Amino acid sequence: MLDRFCRIIILFFAACLLISSGRSASFTASLDRDSIALGEQATLSLKFDGIQPQDAPGIPDIPGLQFQYVGPSSSFSFINGQTSSSITYNYIVAPQRDGEFTIPGMRAEVNGQQFSSSPLKLTVSKVNAPSASAVNSGSEVAFLKFSFPKSKIYIGESSVGQLDLYLRDDVQNFGNFQLTATPTDGFSAGKIAELQNQRRRVLVGNRGYTVIPLAVPLTASRARALTLGPFTASVVVVLPSQNDGGDPFFRQFFNQGEQKQITLASEPVNVQSLSLPEQNKPANFNGAVGNFTMTATAGPTNLTVGDPITVRVQISGNGALDAVTLPAQDAWQNFKTYPPTTKLDTSDQFGFQGAKTFEQIVSPQNSDVHELPPLTFSFFNPDDGQYHTLTQPAVPLVVKAAGASPMPVIVANKNSAPENQPPQDILPIKENLGILATKSSPLVAQPAFLAVQSVPILAFLAAFIWRKRADNLANNPRLRRQRTVAQLVNSGLSDLNKFAADNKSNEFFAMLFRLLQEQLGERLDCPATAITEADVDRRLIYIGASPATLESLRELFQLCNQARYAPIQTRQELVAVAAKFKKAVGELQKLKP
Amino acid sequence: MKKLVASVFVLIFAAKTFAADVATDFSAANKLYAEGKFAAAANAYGAILGTGARSSALLFNYANAEFKAGHLGEAIDSYRRAELLAPRDAELRANLAFVRNQVQGATVRESRWQSWFGLLTLNEGAVLTAVLFWLTAALFIARQLQPALVPRLKNATRILFALTLFSGTVLGLQATSHFSTATAVVTADNVTARSGPFDDAQSAFTARDGAELSVLDQRDGWVQVANGAGKSGWLPTKQVEVLPGA
Repeated sequence: MLDRFCRIIILFFAACLLISSGRSASFTASLDRDSIALGEQATLSLKFDGIQPQDAPGIPDIPGLQFQYVGPSSSFSFINGQTSSSITYNYIVAPQRDGEFTIPGMRAEVNGQQFSSSPLKLTVSKVNAPSASAVNSGSEVAFLKFSFPKSKIYIGESSVGQLDLYLRDDVQNFGNFQLTATPTDGFSAGKIAELQNQRRRVLVGNRGYTVIPLAVPLTASRARALTLGPFTASVVVVLPSQNDGGDPFFRQFFNQGEQKQITLASEPVNVQSLSLPEQNKPANFNGAVGNFTMTATAGPTNLTVGDPITVRVQISGNGALDAVTLPAQDAWQNFKTYPPTTKLDTSDQFGFQGAKTFEQIVSPQNSDVHELPPLTFSFFNPDDGQYHTLTQPAVPLVVKAAGASPMPVIVANKNSAPENQPPQDILPIKENLGILATKSSPLVAQPAFLAVQSVPILAFLAAFIWRKRADNLANNPRLRRQRTVAQLVNSGLSDLNKFAADNKSNEFFAMLFRLLQEQLGERLDCPATAITEADVDRRLIYIGASPATLESLRELFQLCNQARYAPIQTRQELVAVAAKFKKAVGELQKLKP
Repeated sequence: MKKLVASVFVLIFAAKTFAADVATDFSAANKLYAEGKFAAAANAYGAILGTGARSSALLFNYANAEFKAGHLGEAIDSYRRAELLAPRDAELRANLAFVRNQVQGATVRESRWQSWFGLLTLNEGAVLTAVLFWLTAALFIARQLQPALVPRLKNATRILFALTLFSGTVLGLQATSHFSTATAVVTADNVTARSGPFDDAQSAFTARDGAELSVLDQRDGWVQVANGAGKSGWLPTKQVEVLPGA
């Protein structure tokens, strides 16, 4: 069903085309403008009325003109029962130079029928920089101005020119800025880019302009009179519309403006490029122009014949760093040298400031070598017009004689690109077997290794607990006294036994009385010296002392008192008293104070 | 006791004799290599490895001989095993990079962090972490035993604690990579990875000698691998060498 419907539609359109083609089939070519300025573009339209070509027609090659196919546009109308259709193929025409161009008539074959178009003429006029009076009068909506800081420049010297785009203050917006010609013959030019954050407003004549500066990095490559420019460009600006009408107050808010393409050109600038002087040119000068400093390191310095020494040379400063190369060091004839690797670090957007680092591998060829000879680098400084030679002092080396080990093939550091050639082969085999490794599982998978790691944890826990207990003791004077008294009683008991054994009755009872006071004082939480026999009956009963304990303590106090008057006691009696004291103290210590 | 001492002496003597034999065989293999008999040298190094002896130099030389004999996969496998023993050997890394550059077709390359972790062996990482851990614990213990030292040890404790944490994290990642991932190095040329672990399964992709592939699974003499181009398939284990780690 759908297939049938499609067939009907196709037949309908084919019939329409046949009807229209029967009436007025034609092929025409046209340009939207027949005169443009260099840098501007025209549009070429190839229109087929009443016929439908299979494809866009090819455009003949015309030197000086570039064609870019944009795409087709078609129209179909049905008026008073009559149909008409057309298809137009559009091309952008961009001239590469000024002059008169003829686009020849083109032929097209559609459905076996030949069609041809008429030739077209296009005049491309040269763009000239506006005169100073035109600029100062403020009549120029936009213009270009190129300046170069030097009138004389040495070959190899780098400098940054400035191309300023001036836009009058009534330009509401601009876009599609394109440099159409940047003649810098005799210079190698870097990337032209806007200087960031350097837009400014200036007064030219009596009109304000916004200046958009573009940097043009240039390095002189030929020694002769050179011309920079004229730089040409095109830009589309939006200017206030003159035909909006209405109230001027509202117009300032609702004026959408008119777009206008403008072709711009700068005045050419003449620069004299000079050859480098031959006088006083150092023998190892290899073309470096600028102002540089050099640092160098080398290591290792204690090695055997054939071992590699890495020499790192950093050349910093201003100039065409990209072109700087490390000169051949004639004094290194006792060393085998390998191509250096380089690394460039620039600190400005033009690549004229920064540092270039060379990493070169050299290896001593015999054990008579005692130093890495001085490293020299020469450059021409255009600021003072003089050659300069930088020298790094010799590096002392200790080179031992080698065995029969083969010369290593040095492989460049993989992080830096080799300057000349990549490694050609693998490094040779090792002569020494080295330490034989035992085949075992990794340490992290061995239970013994993991178990050992618990030791510091346990040690820390022990220290932590000890600390806590020490803090508790320090904050609890009663507990501290309890422990002190317990220690005192323990040592006192051994003293008592000793006095008993020596039958020293006086000392025995003096010690016994003191121990009783200390122990009871600690239990009753009062000063030991204040304890008397009376406290036994009066206070001990309240902390739960048993009658037997009380009786023992009373008896001990009485014995101490008696001893003052009748100190002689037998050894056995003293031992028995000591045992009684021990028992009574043991019971006392069980009581909760 | 006497028996124990005698046993120890016997063991030391046996180990010394074994090392001397290995060194002799190693020199003989080196001689074959120097004479340009690379296949024979590879066999000789392989025979030493067959005795269980391992050293980075032995694996390095074996890899060199295999490379010279045209076996990229065996060479890469051996360099990588040597790298596990000597991760900072510049010559080894240079040769491995050189051989890898010769490999054609899709292959899995180690990421930057993996190569960074590879600067230490797993055991070196474990010992480093353990030393830092013990030092940190010692400082914490000292702070408990001598509280007066706390202000003086404050910065040292913080630094060591941070280092221990960092080292431990790296070790954890290293261990995870070592134990939970594996790489298969293709040791035959133009091998066909299949969509299933069967000889008659459909072809998934082909891999060249020396290609390094991520191991996804292993089953009954087959290993499931993924190449660097996002394709996966099964290869017979006899066509690959499986290495621990990514």
